[in-house]
Amino acid sequence: MASPLVLLPGDEVPTRHLPSNKSNPLKLGPGLRLLSQPSSTSQNTQSQHVLAATQAGILTTDVKRNTVSLLSFPNRRYIPTVNDLIIAQIHHSSVDYFHCMVTPHTAHALLGQLSFEGASKKTRPMLRQGDLVYARVLSIGLGAGAEVELTCVNPATGKSEPGGLGPLNGGMVFDVSTGMAARLLRASSSSSEQSESIDGLVVLSELGKKLESLGGFEIAVGRNGKVWIDCSNAGESAVKATIAIGRCLQTVDEKGLGPTDQKKFVTRILREMKLVS
Amino acid sequence: MVGPTASLSNLSRADGSASFKCPTTGYKILGSVNAPVELPGRRDALKPEEATVEVFIKPGNTTAGVGERYVEGIIRTMLQKLILGRERGFPRRGVVITLAIVGGGAIARGDSYLTLLPSLLHTSLLALLSGAVPMSMTYSTALVAVSKSNVIISNPTLVEAKAASSLHVLAFSSKGHLLLNESQGRFDFDTWKTVQQCAHALCRGVDLPEVDGDIAMEAQGDSGTAEGFVRETVENHLYRDYAWKIDTE
Amino acid sequence: MVTSAAAPAPSSRPALSLPPSQFARLQPHAYLLAHLSPPSTNNQPSIRANGRAPTQFRVTSANAGSLTHTNGSAVVRIGDTAAVCGVRAELLHTEDIASWSVSQATSSNKSPRSVDQTEELGEQDDNETIERERAHIEDLNLLVPNLSLSTGCAPGFIPGSAPSSLAQSLSHQILSLLHSTRLVRADDLRIWYQPPSMGPEELERHNEEEQMDVDTAQNDPVEESPREIKAFWVLYIDIMIISLAGNAFDAAWAAVLAALRDTKLPKAWWDVDNETVVCSDSISDARKLSLRGLPVASSFAVFEADAAAGWRAVVIPEAAEMKAQRLARKGGVSERWLLADPDGYEEGLTQERACVVVDKDTDGKVIILEMEKNGGWTIDTEDLQQLVDLSSQRWEDMKRILDEC
Repeated sequence: MASPLVLLPGDEVPTRHLPSNKSNPLKLGPGLRLLSQPSSTSQNTQSQHVLAATQAGILTTDVKRNTVSLLSFPNRRYIPTVNDLIIAQIHHSSVDYFHCMVTPHTAHALLGQLSFEGASKKTRPMLRQGDLVYARVLSIGLGAGAEVELTCVNPATGKSEPGGLGPLNGGMVFDVSTGMAARLLRASSSSSEQSESIDGLVVLSELGKKLESLGGFEIAVGRNGKVWIDCSNAGESAVKATIAIGRCLQTVDEKGLGPTDQKKFVTRILREMKLVS
Repeated sequence: MVGPTASLSNLSRADGSASFKCPTTGYKILGSVNAPVELPGRRDALKPEEATVEVFIKPGNTTAGVGERYVEGIIRTMLQKLILGRERGFPRRGVVITLAIVGGGAIARGDSYLTLLPSLLHTSLLALLSGAVPMSMTYSTALVAVSKSNVIISNPTLVEAKAASSLHVLAFSSKGHLLLNESQGRFDFDTWKTVQQCAHALCRGVDLPEVDGDIAMEAQGDSGTAEGFVRETVENHLYRDYAWKIDTE
Repeated sequence: MVTSAAAPAPSSRPALSLPPSQFARLQPHAYLLAHLSPPSTNNQPSIRANGRAPTQFRVTSANAGSLTHTNGSAVVRIGDTAAVCGVRAELLHTEDIASWSVSQATSSNKSPRSVDQTEELGEQDDNETIERERAHIEDLNLLVPNLSLSTGCAPGFIPGSAPSSLAQSLSHQILSLLHSTRLVRADDLRIWYQPPSMGPEELERHNEEEQMDVDTAQNDPVEESPREIKAFWVLYIDIMIISLAGNAFDAAWAAVLAALRDTKLPKAWWDVDNETVVCSDSISDARKLSLRGLPVASSFAVFEADAAAGWRAVVIPEAAEMKAQRLARKGGVSERWLLADPDGYEEGLTQERACVVVDKDTDGKVIILEMEKNGGWTIDTEDLQQLVDLSSQRWEDMKRILDEC
């Protein structure tokens, strides 16, 4: 299709845009809801149900998984959802919990003192105010004022699954939009040779290639719009490289650069910072 | 005629924001939406079944007074019916809309707020859309004046509005319902009917004959109308935000 | 309680043993709906829980001049909603107005006398007059209404608390309606001074002349030097809602109207010797305000049959479709009712409101002065037409009530 369909609240999803996969039920993503015709007008022959948008967004469908969803504005505030990976900052600790900040101006999320891989009363990590953790949202509670609970360990296996959960040492955190964070997560969760095309995001693989000589870098992406970057292998130029990567990600996010522009920008930044000759 | 200008998501800390400038009245509004937010310590606002809608209007040069309270009430009543406050995560929380008047003339005590109302309503709508607040419908509004010689002036300037014998603000839903009517001045019902038709044309264009579902929706992409303007603004913004996605497809 | 009520009934049906007052509290929506849509078997008309027909207003009474230390006052009672309004006039000297000499210099080029004459001719105001009126009444804030709900009028309003946003918006609504209807004539509020064109030895005699009625002095052809405004009356209009049972605006506006009709301003003139405004204390000298017309406000609410409409995920029909449905259903069961003059109980059950302020000119032609509708999408053009018709009927009743008080 030439330009994707944008729906405003109240607009009905045209039936021809729905995936025609009949084998499994249609799944609705955020921003859409199923409406039924009011009972008084049910005599007409049209279908009884329509899909209508409740937000403004671009209609996207996935034929394989038989889903239809609405891509809304990417800069929205992060609202915790179970199983999201986030980067939280320790605010203070109490007997049983670390109180963490996930988003500014919201209530603190709780992270159990023992919710770390292999943690016991004696071996638990001693996190202090300002420390960072990469954690998974365990539960969001019910209703308003409920507490969000985080964990760094899979309670079933006792391992930090998916890998990398736990305290983040060194490095630096950059803020990106939540939409960008979601893209980065999608891009990094797919295999490396495929990642060229994922969501038009080549900045990470490009940076990886260019910085390989410096010893590469570590990155953790939180759904709450935070990206943690560490280049401690780079020795002398570790700080420079970290800043360069952060700038690349933030600029790609803000300016919405396309794949070719991303490559150009990465080359330019790295040259400006005298990281790559 | 110069159309209004608007931009979306210009504030980084708010969940949704929009700025709107009306060329004829010269008002410039900056609006922000935060939703859903906790309203701690507001026992009156904790409704167990739905979200509480709060509207605050900040005049550019003074503190908010009784006039602002009144307009806040109008906007709140209208939006409460359109915002789906029963969606997940919204009950017992708040939808807070703050509208700052950043440009245009001041409104003195007791002055009619009608000239400002369409700009405020359009800003709130765009801000709500950019904050992805679930709504059942969108709307569009128009300001219409009737001059002393019974001439209907659509989108009057402030001078025309002041000299008019009656002033009307109408809002139509995206499905054609009359959502809001605020009329002041001296007029009779037949005049109002003409005003209503004029406002309807400004908001939604000329009535299309009822066509089947999808076709009717695409046919109304008229950019001259207030509704078309809102749609265009949102589309442009979304296309820019998702340029990476559209390009790769 | 339950058993005693059920005892006289031969068949033991405990569901019906709930007294109506409790049912009204537990299921307010169903209670009102049951009243409005009686079973079709008994030919009862649809009636509201308070015993009124849907388009019937509550019993209204007005009493003017109850407060003795005000220039004008009125108590208006609409059902259980009661509003007291007092008007107090205070003097504003033009020399105390900071911008007076500047604004006067620009606007006094036109002869004030000609302006007054057009005004006396009646409603044929030209733009200039209206502009002057606006300049004086609106820019100088000569009308200051203030509405107070913190009189313990309803359980939600605690005495002594800050004005709620409802009170503030009602105050604004009254002020903006006073301005837009131009109810009070600016000329009633002006205090003129005619400088003598004669020598100082005649000044004493002139002062006596000045005490005559302003109009005769003004028609005196000898005096040619321009008159000037020395002071204004500022009307402080205070409204207290002493009991609130819904529809505060109609009651408050009716009270303002009755109080202004009752208002008498003492005769005042500029005393040259003392350089101050002097008022006459004789009641016979005081004159009433000559108001423009009689705008009457009528409020309405829309009660929707479906209590859970907000919960139901149904398609909202297009406006045209909705109209067609309504026409098709005409005569059958209605899905919504227009309720005139909603009381507190009904206001809690409705969201959509409409308010119409009408006046009638001397030929009996209806003039709409304000028409508001908000909070929903069921009222369309035809409904508004009906509301205007109802409001003009109400105007007749209110005129009778206000004329009698």
